[in-house]
Amino acid sequence: MKPRFSIVSLTGCSGCISTLISLDIFPQFLERTKVIYFPFISDTENIEDCDIALVEGCISEQKDITYLKKVRKHAKKVFALGTCAAFGGILSLSFSKDAKPISTFIEIDGIIPGCPPPSKLFGNLLIRLVENKEINLSEKVMCANCPLRENSEVDFNQKITRINPNPDEILIGEENLECFLKKGILCLGPITREGCENKCITLGFPCEGCLGPVSKDFTANVINFLSLTNLSEDLKNYEGIFYRFSKPKLRR
Amino acid sequence: MIVLLKIVDVCTRVEGHGNVKILVHNDEISNVEFDIEVFRGFENFLIGKNLMDIPKITSRICGLCYASQTIASCKAIENIYDIDISKQSILLRRLLLIGELIKSHCMHFFFQSLPDLFQIFDFNRKFLSPYDLIKYDPDLTTYIYELIKIGTEVERGFGGRSVHLITPIPGGVIYLPSRKNISIVRKYFQKALINLELMIEKFIDLFSNQVPPKEYNLPNIMYMALNNLNKFDRYEGSMKIKVNETNIIEFQEKNYVKYFNKEVDLRGIDFHFNKDKMILVGPIARFKIIDNYGIDNINTYIEFFDKSWQNSILYSNILRLMEMYFEIQKGLEMLEDPVLNTRIMPPSFKPVKNSEGMGVIEAPRGTLLHHYSLGENGLPKEIKIFIPTEINIPIINEMMIRYAQEIYDKTGDINFVKKRVQTIVRAFDPCIACAAH
Repeated sequence: MKPRFSIVSLTGCSGCISTLISLDIFPQFLERTKVIYFPFISDTENIEDCDIALVEGCISEQKDITYLKKVRKHAKKVFALGTCAAFGGILSLSFSKDAKPISTFIEIDGIIPGCPPPSKLFGNLLIRLVENKEINLSEKVMCANCPLRENSEVDFNQKITRINPNPDEILIGEENLECFLKKGILCLGPITREGCENKCITLGFPCEGCLGPVSKDFTANVINFLSLTNLSEDLKNYEGIFYRFSKPKLRR
Repeated sequence: MIVLLKIVDVCTRVEGHGNVKILVHNDEISNVEFDIEVFRGFENFLIGKNLMDIPKITSRICGLCYASQTIASCKAIENIYDIDISKQSILLRRLLLIGELIKSHCMHFFFQSLPDLFQIFDFNRKFLSPYDLIKYDPDLTTYIYELIKIGTEVERGFGGRSVHLITPIPGGVIYLPSRKNISIVRKYFQKALINLELMIEKFIDLFSNQVPPKEYNLPNIMYMALNNLNKFDRYEGSMKIKVNETNIIEFQEKNYVKYFNKEVDLRGIDFHFNKDKMILVGPIARFKIIDNYGIDNINTYIEFFDKSWQNSILYSNILRLMEMYFEIQKGLEMLEDPVLNTRIMPPSFKPVKNSEGMGVIEAPRGTLLHHYSLGENGLPKEIKIFIPTEINIPIINEMMIRYAQEIYDKTGDINFVKKRVQTIVRAFDPCIACAAH
């Protein structure tokens, strides 16, 4: 019996779905599974029983909750696909809109993080799901295998004044590349799960944290980390960092 | 007794969540509307953000039009700083836009459009699931998969990632492609051309002797697109609005307010200069503005489709194939430019020069314009994003009402109407994620 899949979109950009369709293994994925619900490419309107549901997008409206609960009811396993579903995502920057991860409302069986999920990671995890195997993510942070790591003990005394390097600083393929934090540029590598092969960093850009933390709450991680660093005043007040991919969880 | 009935149907095979709302009044259809319920408020929460951060955030408006969103955003910011970017960066941006176009057009053509065309032309073959579609013509399926892969590889090769690109930022595309890099993309583009030729031939075989039903004919409308000295160009040039055959208005994006505007945080774009006609953007508008792609092969292909197609929204299916063919040809020329792998330092950023900036691009679905205004603190205080799908919605609605009334009169079957009007929505290739910005 081929495993039955549902591919569900909530509030988001559809980038995870377009990444899925662009995967090298997408034809193989369709071949080895029975995709029973996938509104992006199929006319089926009813959510039916399935083995695995992949859910992209965050919960922003009441109707998302009803829809999500229905998905949960019909699926043996539910996985959050992408950073919106896993942590809330880019809409967390909004003051007026909700951007809740799906785990706020239902039990989930795992996450495939990233904005979008890195193709290699996504492909490997997807194959494991097709084969009915557990999926595991690395427990290490980006720094563990960072190409700029060499002589690095992160120096927390270095004043962090910027979140973006200047275009002329982004030197490609130069040997004198140095840890961004040492240059006073904020990099969220120390609190972000590895899995993207340090794509941004290799290209000369600091990590913006899209894969989320290894454990616990996203915003709490950012705040803990920033409290250790010597952050300039204007960055301390910039929501663009704290809420980039998640809002803090408030407990009553 | 007046009986009012509202029927809401979820659109399938579109990108994102959209509904078709049908209003039945005394057993007559009084209104049909394409409705995008979600509204995310990007224009709102981008206020006060660091200018260098904005393109990365706007990319997340849409996972299909990510490159267009980012690049329009970068252009608006470069306009604020009054900086010019290198020719190398322009080439790389154009290549990234080509990668995006291939993926977007292919996904629409295969998963969204093809099953509808079979239904519209009564081909007696139904695609009930994606599996039926994939099995229908295994060669065609392979061409599509390969083209999507090629689009993806271009984005990865020059942009660092398949979606939400890393390398394009204000100031240029900060990436130096290696010779190997370029040669890989060249091979991919050559392969893409072969695939496209075969796809176009299949398309001609299937549909060129068909006459599109008149329900799909566009009403009397205007067309808007970017063009560069009358040539097809999605990256730079001037904007044109074709009011009719003799009246074509040309203007720079900085003067757009003379012709259209919008309320921040509200849906809809107001073309106040001419309230009589609606306006269309996208592949058909781009073609109507230039009249000719300037490539002989394309002219030959287009000639297979007679006049009955030219005013039909279904014509956009042909033009999407032509646009891919055109852009890949141009892409191959760009790859030969030695400036592509020359080390060029990006421009340095001087203090902000203008308090406003605009950036315009032809996204896969039409003209996309970003307009940012800065406050006294040097940070954006107003953000306006003009989305192509929003421009097209009034035309979609008008065509749906006309069509729904007609088939409801004929059949009296509201379920049939529900399904059938969706083919109009899909023919426009709406981008719901963008429209729900």
